[in-house]
Amino acid sequence: MREIKTVTILGANGAMGSGSAGVIAAFGGAKVYMLARDVEKAKQGIEAAVASVKTDTIRARMIPGSYDADLEKAVAESDWVFELVAESYEVKEPINIRIAKARRPGTIVSTVSSGLSIGRLAKAYDEDGQKHYYGTHFFNPPYKMILCELVTHSGNDKKVTQALGEYLDKVLGRAVVYTNDTPAFAGNRIGFQLMNEVAHFAEKYADKGGIALLDEIMSGYTGRAMGPLATADFVGLDVHKAIVDNIYENTKDEAHETFKLPGYFQKLIDAGKLGMKSGGGLTKVVKHADGKREKFVYNIKTGEYDPYPKFDIPFIKEARQKIKESNYKAAMDVVKTASGFEADIARYFISRYISYSLSLVGEVVDTKENTDGAMGFGFNWVPASAFVDFLGGPKETIKLMEASKIPVPKLLKDAKEGKKFYELGEKLDARSLFKG
Amino acid sequence: MSEKVFVLGGEQTDFQRNWTKEGKTFMSMMREVLDDALEKVGISYDEIKRLNKENKVAVFVGNFDAEQYANQGHLGAFLTEVNPALFGVPGARYEAACASGSVALDAAITHIRAEDYDLAIVLGVEVMKTVSSSVGGDFLGTAAYYEKEAKGVQFPFPKLFGKLADVILERYELKEERFMDALAEISRINYANAKRNPKAQTRTWFMNKEHAMARGGDNNMAVGGRLCITDCSQVTDGAAVTLLASKGYAKEYAKKTGRKFDDIPRIKGWGHRVAPITFEAKKLESVGDKYILPWTRQTVKDAYKRADLDVKNIDVFETHDCFTSSEYAAISAFGISEPGKEHIAIEDGTIDFGGKKPINPSGGLIGVGHPVGASGVRMMLDLYKQVTNTAGDYQVKGAKNGLMLNIGGSATTNFVFILGK
Repeated sequence: MREIKTVTILGANGAMGSGSAGVIAAFGGAKVYMLARDVEKAKQGIEAAVASVKTDTIRARMIPGSYDADLEKAVAESDWVFELVAESYEVKEPINIRIAKARRPGTIVSTVSSGLSIGRLAKAYDEDGQKHYYGTHFFNPPYKMILCELVTHSGNDKKVTQALGEYLDKVLGRAVVYTNDTPAFAGNRIGFQLMNEVAHFAEKYADKGGIALLDEIMSGYTGRAMGPLATADFVGLDVHKAIVDNIYENTKDEAHETFKLPGYFQKLIDAGKLGMKSGGGLTKVVKHADGKREKFVYNIKTGEYDPYPKFDIPFIKEARQKIKESNYKAAMDVVKTASGFEADIARYFISRYISYSLSLVGEVVDTKENTDGAMGFGFNWVPASAFVDFLGGPKETIKLMEASKIPVPKLLKDAKEGKKFYELGEKLDARSLFKG
Repeated sequence: MSEKVFVLGGEQTDFQRNWTKEGKTFMSMMREVLDDALEKVGISYDEIKRLNKENKVAVFVGNFDAEQYANQGHLGAFLTEVNPALFGVPGARYEAACASGSVALDAAITHIRAEDYDLAIVLGVEVMKTVSSSVGGDFLGTAAYYEKEAKGVQFPFPKLFGKLADVILERYELKEERFMDALAEISRINYANAKRNPKAQTRTWFMNKEHAMARGGDNNMAVGGRLCITDCSQVTDGAAVTLLASKGYAKEYAKKTGRKFDDIPRIKGWGHRVAPITFEAKKLESVGDKYILPWTRQTVKDAYKRADLDVKNIDVFETHDCFTSSEYAAISAFGISEPGKEHIAIEDGTIDFGGKKPINPSGGLIGVGHPVGASGVRMMLDLYKQVTNTAGDYQVKGAKNGLMLNIGGSATTNFVFILGK
């Protein structure tokens, strides 16, 4: 096991920086240099780190500092430099040049980028530096969301990758998923495909309920705690845009067109309505004088906010009841056989999600367990392979895909009938991700 | 009795799950755990139907307080909702506070020993995340003498086991620092063990010795005298099933499933004793005794006697560490150390995962989580895994005999079972 005694965190005051630092100082027992633009911000990061993992024991081994005064000294002492500064080449590349100059041979350097090219960022380093450069994509909040996408590029050394993976898994308690250096890696590529295409459908069905309707159709009974559009609203429409634009510009796969940002998203972004963090976006909550809170949803047609509607869609109600009783296959039978355009949409997206997840095996990841882990641990969505089992196996799933005119991935065509398709069951009980 | 009752295995739910948040109920939990257990053991619902025709299968449900947590009683009959194959199968719910799982096991063992049934399905279940921790703490107070020990007391049980810690410290004249260090080490071991258990509630939680030692403050609050959060097990939602069988059925089962009959473990011994219900009465009664919990010790001795075994024959222990102080007292009750010398067994690594007498390789209640009515059944399942060498990453090498201690109340109801080959 690789020994990591000293770590430098760059971007220590951000939510991801402080949360990751908390995990490293607590689980890893490491001394952590907490670097930010100024020492005061770094000190705030330390307190946030303590609060995130709820242990005062780490405070003493976290040392605050600033980029200007302390970067070179901290990096020179470190076994791992974890960079979490703003998500752009313009910010990351100059700081990498400084790290590269101060770094000792053998020191690991990684970034938490959720979409930038790891290979391009690695170019700031000499040969040894490139060998030790990775993407370590933690999810927010790091203590609770245990996924780490370990992103490799062509210059890495397999032995170092293995040692780092072991450290992240055994010492830091991460669910490690190995991905290649492709746009948005595995989790975001799959997750934002679905979210963005659902957003397009919300526009298409704006007259019938739009955003609220689509989130209802894609709610907990389809294996997620939060609707896809509620998720977009939660992460922020600006972040959503950055991720889908990057994928749209840099990939050309079967789902390429679905990564185009919907016009109404851009309109909301231009108006500063970025989602929950800015007090409103796809939805907003208004607190009335009597203290009661009321939820509203953006009307794509009118540009106004309407009261959030309630729906009564019989097949969804029935499927939810089956899930409430832990009768998952029966719930999926309801979805498979229901009639009406809402059921067609549900089947379309379930098919799309499984198909797209499995289609990335070979390009983005080496095995389906990596995409399954990314979605299960990173998004709390029922992994694609588990869905295949709940739907009754590969044949049944293929039928569903064909009916929705979704491409059938080779992995599914080649799958053996009568054998469990989902192989992460001992690590992640997929049933827990369905909501009744 | 060791030739009468056999354990065929079973399954537990993932104790990290919050079923209320998932929009599911105790019934859905029963369905999942029973389906999983039967699949794992290799017994079908058709087989249950066949046995039921001859009235040779029964169901024993361990549960403490579904009435309050889930507004539901009559759980023995509720398995008929899980699967129609259980229509007509005799079933009832058994309750003894945190030892509810064990009293269900005890009833099942008794019926099999009496040759009433060939197969017994023992299911422990508790849904606890339906209410806030303070409301739940009040519900748990009914496992003590509510009127005298729990009424109006916030979190009564940490306080009762905090008193146990006080008595241990005073009675054995231990140095406080050394004693508290030993309790922290118990906590560290249980959390560390739970990291290897894929069904443990705390498997992703942070804990180390340093944190366990840092008692007090917002991040490790005092909850019962000397005891802080890190000294406590935490309630959770969970269920566990173990299947018990008669010798004849176990032989048939071995043949059908291609297993060796000799590899199927049997219940070798048992003990069941009830101490005075209030902690004060326990304390007074034990004055002058070497053991602070003499009835717990007696229960262990009863089990050893029935099994014709002693501590030297036991390779692995699952104990009721609802609090670090209860595990501390259990060490001498098992005979691992002399009373008053428990800290030495902790300090020298005897009870650690790789030690001579490992306790709670599963993580125990502190690590695995404590869904009250399920804990006893979960312990039996863990003993089964250990003695059949199927515990995966938390397997104790070469374990042949295991002992479990499950207690209800402030060590009031005591149950011990010994399982081995």
